[in-house]
Amino acid sequence: MKKSVVSKEYTNLQKEIIKLQEQWKQVLNPDVIQPKLDQAALASGVPAAALTAIDFDIPLFIQWIDEINRLIVKKNPELEGKLGKVRELLNEEVAIRWIDEAFAVNQFYFQQFAQEHELEGWMAPFLAETALRPYLQLVAEKLQPEITHAVHGAGCPVCGEPVRLAQLEENGKKVVHCPRCLVQWPEKRVVCSHCGNEDSKTIQFISVEGDATSQLQVCDQCHGYLKVIDTRQFISKPSSAILDLNSIHLDFIAQDNGYGAATDQNTAN
Amino acid sequence: MATEYVKYVDVTKCDGCRACMVACKNWNDLPAEPQDFLGTMQSHANVSADTWNVLTFVEHENSEGKLDYLFRHSSCYHCTDAACEKVCPENAISYTDFGTVVIDQDTCVGCGYCVQNCPFDVISLKTYKDKNGDEYRKAHKCTMCTDRLEEGLQPACVTTCHTEAMEFGEKEAMIKKAEKRVQEIKDRYPNANVYNPKGVGGTHTIYVLTEKPSVYGMPENPKVPTSAVLWKDYAQPIGKAMVGGVAMALAGAFVANKFFDKKNNQENRDGGGSHE
Repeated sequence: MKKSVVSKEYTNLQKEIIKLQEQWKQVLNPDVIQPKLDQAALASGVPAAALTAIDFDIPLFIQWIDEINRLIVKKNPELEGKLGKVRELLNEEVAIRWIDEAFAVNQFYFQQFAQEHELEGWMAPFLAETALRPYLQLVAEKLQPEITHAVHGAGCPVCGEPVRLAQLEENGKKVVHCPRCLVQWPEKRVVCSHCGNEDSKTIQFISVEGDATSQLQVCDQCHGYLKVIDTRQFISKPSSAILDLNSIHLDFIAQDNGYGAATDQNTAN
Repeated sequence: MATEYVKYVDVTKCDGCRACMVACKNWNDLPAEPQDFLGTMQSHANVSADTWNVLTFVEHENSEGKLDYLFRHSSCYHCTDAACEKVCPENAISYTDFGTVVIDQDTCVGCGYCVQNCPFDVISLKTYKDKNGDEYRKAHKCTMCTDRLEEGLQPACVTTCHTEAMEFGEKEAMIKKAEKRVQEIKDRYPNANVYNPKGVGGTHTIYVLTEKPSVYGMPENPKVPTSAVLWKDYAQPIGKAMVGGVAMALAGAFVANKFFDKKNNQENRDGGGSHE
């Protein structure tokens, strides 16, 4: 059996970040989230978070970014100077922009931001996304009872994240989990989450020798893939975000074999 | 230290499908052992070096004179106070942080003391042949899938159980669950009990039984044999102390010898030969 390919240090950092996000989420008043569910929009694949009014607390958002910075510097002191530079740039106006762009996963904006201010490419999107997630997760928590299915190819019905992770749960039920907002919804065992293909002849499973719990479900029609992890075998279930991180080798295998998330195609279109 | 875990087996939920046996063979890569028909549904008479768990089928006449057909998943109990660990002269048997008892195959010399002393009869020797055709033996038993536990996975048998007769979890939680389950089934099975024998310090496989343990062919009060206690806790330390004593005596003798030798040499040099 193989342990995760991700280093222990990085997994621990992510675990601590997830713990922080959980604490932040607890602080938020659920009333800052006002979902306006429009069934027609949902049916056409618009993420529910886009239809939700969220009353962001900007100073709190900046405070969270400070907390992440402290955590990262504690683990990796040489980043102090670089992160300090990012912090100097971050005022309320920039924070509002970050929230909008992180919400839309606008990598182009963050690339430009990094170039403009001579920052390392990962910093701004990482910080913005990490501090945005508690809000997305709160939206997901509120909407979870309504989320019973997803539109194939549209990604997560709450935050729009490309679908890539499912778990086999009690009685072998396949449940798709979003590692970003943590919403979940059931799905048929043999169906492609990206194109809705149900033809068992064109849906293949790739297993990794020595990995007893995970499989890749790949679709030969749309070349999309989904990591399917049998979490019934786990002694204690990790959060979807950690599960997604620890199974990153499967993403590499899928992508090396010519498969990708369906939204890649959407972007190309 | 890792969390101590317990395998919980509720025989009232077992339907005798034997998937646990198959899962064990599959995960541990154990060869099939074709058996003769034993006259019952039971496939193997007992666990063996290549069959680490066996589903036992017992026909029992209950207190109302009716037939009960009792199924039980049987494998190593992973005692807290394991006789096998005590008697092993090579220290090849040890406890893991999870509370499981494992045999180091590289260290095992196949002496068979563990087999003779196990109160549950769940260890067996397997004979191998080396490249010169010489035979040697190794002891084998269930490992509680310690290799899976290290990866955060449940034992293979538990994972495969479709009736949820088996569960795997933290020790205290599983013991509580077993006690609660016994209360639930007391009306139907007045003799119901939790099997977690104190004579071996408690086990890491605990059972919810509907009848007395002996009905299932389990020892009522298993104990670590006195000889094992004597061996590990007294004979071995005394033996080691004696080895130390002998070493001291040898060293003393060596020093004394040197001294006397010098004396003799001196006498020789002085020309004090005795035969003169």
